[in-house]
Amino acid sequence: MSHFSRRNFLRSSAAGSAVLTFGGLAPSALQAAAEQSKSERILVVIELQGGNDGLNTVIPIGDETYRRLRPKLAIAKSDSLEISDALAFHSSLRGFADLLEAGRLAILQGVGYPDPNRSHFESMDIWHTCQRKNENRIDGWLGRLLEQSAGEAGGDPTALHLGHDKQPFALMSRKVRVPSIRSLEQFRLHGTEDAQFRKAVQELADARRGEGNDLLNFVQASTSSAISASEKLSSSVKSYSSSVTYPKNGLGEQLQTVAKLIGSGLKTSVYYVTLNGFDTHSQQPDAHAGLLRQLGDSVKAFLDDIDHLKQSDRVAMMCFSEFGRRVEENASAGTDHGTAGPMFMAGATVKSGLIGQLPSLSNLQDGDLRHHTDFRQVYAAVIQNWFQCEAEPILKGKFAAVDVFRDSAKV
Amino acid sequence: MNEIFDPDWAWSEFQPETETPWNIRTAAHLFRRAGFGATQNQLTTAAAKTPSAVVDELLAGPEPESFRAEMTSLSNAAIATGNVKQLSAWWAYRMFSTPMQLLEKMTLFWHGHFATSAEKVADGRLMLTQNELLRSFAFGDYNYCWRFHAIRNARVSRFRTNRKSHPNENYAREIMELFCLGEGNYTETDIRELARCFTGWEIRREEFRFNRYQHDDGKKTILHQTGDFGGEEGVKIVLAQKSAPEFIATKLVRFFVMDEPAPTVELIAPLALELRNSGMMIQPVLRRIFTSNLFYSPHAVGRKVRSPVELAVGLLRSLQGSTNAFDLAEEMLTLGQGLLYPPSVKGWDGGRTWINSSTLLGRSNLVRTLITNDKTRFGKTTLKQYLAAQKVTNPREIIDYLETVLFAVPVPEAARERVEALMKSRSDGSLIEGLHALCTIPEFQLG
Repeated sequence: MSHFSRRNFLRSSAAGSAVLTFGGLAPSALQAAAEQSKSERILVVIELQGGNDGLNTVIPIGDETYRRLRPKLAIAKSDSLEISDALAFHSSLRGFADLLEAGRLAILQGVGYPDPNRSHFESMDIWHTCQRKNENRIDGWLGRLLEQSAGEAGGDPTALHLGHDKQPFALMSRKVRVPSIRSLEQFRLHGTEDAQFRKAVQELADARRGEGNDLLNFVQASTSSAISASEKLSSSVKSYSSSVTYPKNGLGEQLQTVAKLIGSGLKTSVYYVTLNGFDTHSQQPDAHAGLLRQLGDSVKAFLDDIDHLKQSDRVAMMCFSEFGRRVEENASAGTDHGTAGPMFMAGATVKSGLIGQLPSLSNLQDGDLRHHTDFRQVYAAVIQNWFQCEAEPILKGKFAAVDVFRDSAKV
Repeated sequence: MNEIFDPDWAWSEFQPETETPWNIRTAAHLFRRAGFGATQNQLTTAAAKTPSAVVDELLAGPEPESFRAEMTSLSNAAIATGNVKQLSAWWAYRMFSTPMQLLEKMTLFWHGHFATSAEKVADGRLMLTQNELLRSFAFGDYNYCWRFHAIRNARVSRFRTNRKSHPNENYAREIMELFCLGEGNYTETDIRELARCFTGWEIRREEFRFNRYQHDDGKKTILHQTGDFGGEEGVKIVLAQKSAPEFIATKLVRFFVMDEPAPTVELIAPLALELRNSGMMIQPVLRRIFTSNLFYSPHAVGRKVRSPVELAVGLLRSLQGSTNAFDLAEEMLTLGQGLLYPPSVKGWDGGRTWINSSTLLGRSNLVRTLITNDKTRFGKTTLKQYLAAQKVTNPREIIDYLETVLFAVPVPEAARERVEALMKSRSDGSLIEGLHALCTIPEFQLG
């Protein structure tokens, strides 16, 4: 047995024992998992926009301080789903509770960064670029990751952003252009059923312009890649079928599109979707419950679909928000901008369960939680353990990776 | 690329010369920026005047009484439908038919600045009131506008009563970060203190009210000033900051002059000073911008990414066009600039953020949809007849004509030949194919 194949064997048997505990995957699929090359791995990022109230997501259910500071908003124990003696999910997160039970969800607590900024836009930029405002921010962490692995998607887009928002800063790169698509149906150029017209617009877009106008060159490269990406996608999404029912909402539809693209064999390695509305300054309870239900149900359906497509060893999911919210509720039955909060990683390859403690509710900083885990430590795990790339240049600093992937998934 | 401009040169009055002449193309630049676009005839007329005279006409008001009356009756009809999207269509219609383009463009600027979305305020009447308010102050006194805005925004914001025991920080943060100063020009303590000033503000039966029992009348320290301030006083302190006129001037330059590079504090200084000295009057600053050296220089011409509204309304206005306003508003929403539907309280970021593969395909599709919509008319007729009436008939003439009215960056010769070849290769429909192909080239995205 060569060194390489013994490693494969050991890896697959270690993973196999985990599966016996949690059920779900056939050993043959795990064998395939062990043979995955890094370029076939996929990360799906879900961005929760507006600042998710972490304390009402992963709830310190028996904590006196929590109840005292949130007389209106504290969630009753009877209205929650147990995680541990001390912690519980919001009852709308049934999807996450099921994933946790199936051994497919890591809850990373107390994630943030030093000297927290409470502006949505600035804090989001910090998460996206790993840089502060006074630094020269020109690209995002995923953009830099894509540059390291560029050229491995065989002509497919290396990353895709789904949604109608502007493109996330995280995906910006000087070299790699990431397409944004609202829906597959809309992602085609009218008139291109006519071959002559299609040829003309592609040629017109492909012609390089001279130096001197950066903006024009940016538009030219973007136009050229948009037209070729639309051609590519429209011809590739034919083989998908699924028995999984997705919830009828924006996030569910986006994740179903992601599953379609993965199922059709696209070589794209990063998918990026967003869920907006977490800025709950007033009348929080109903709004927050609805968003969490959308999140939990959609992620659960997606991962079921990924299982069904026999792709679960390739797909990891990461969920974050720009900040958590203030511990104490405000007078409008809402919460103001805060700091640290939980992140989630999901999929068959993550170490399921709680990672890190809930920050203290009594030792606050300006009324906000103190983080103990830097978000870049989570990124470091994704970059090193999942994509086998070098984290330091991407994160612009040294960060110890959080231990969030199963040993069988690490390479 | 970080060019350093000499602020004195930048804002001195533009004197046409051989290198940067005043002609049809320069006039087209002015109309695209200080409005949406102009027809060949309008451009020829403007080129015969001085730039300064044309800018004065763009700034002159008020709107003709008959136009206002028509708009009022249309907006009332839109509201009566109960569908705010109809109001969005009304505004799109107003944009492509107004005799005062700059007023409309400036209203759009303020809409992006004091961004309130119909997504959150479903009441069309409130949205219309705010829209009319922004239009009435568009060229005027920014501080005065603010006093109204403060109250209106409170009306539409969702805190019911801002209680002194737990003030809601959201509005205070918006004022400092997004409306007046910009991130980095205040501290978290300033926000908490300003939030205390707004305690006692409440909405009762849809009306703004001051509830003195809920007002925190203690001392507050905002931006180094201490006193028992109320909400209006708090806003006044914020507006008196040095960074307030700088913030507005920077936004105006990015909106009207160039996307890149970001203007420096030094470049902005003369405009900020002018704003401060005039008590924050907008009109003189606009006049200064549109008659400046920088505005007509190669650093500005063609150096902005067209917003979806500029692209669509510009296409219509440059060819004397009109269309189904509801469809148009929907298309612009799809492309990321829904009128009355800004994506967040920060408004639209503009510049490169307009561009991604979806929006590029969408912008191209919009051109085809617009020219093939049965409701679209050019000079009350078809595009073909409109051009024929101006003796523009063969592919080469058509491309040249479209370039003059639609393009800020010249169409490269190779592209011109390629489009001409496409048009010549087919007997019918060549105009639609040609215009569509021409408007898909990268140059068309810049304005």
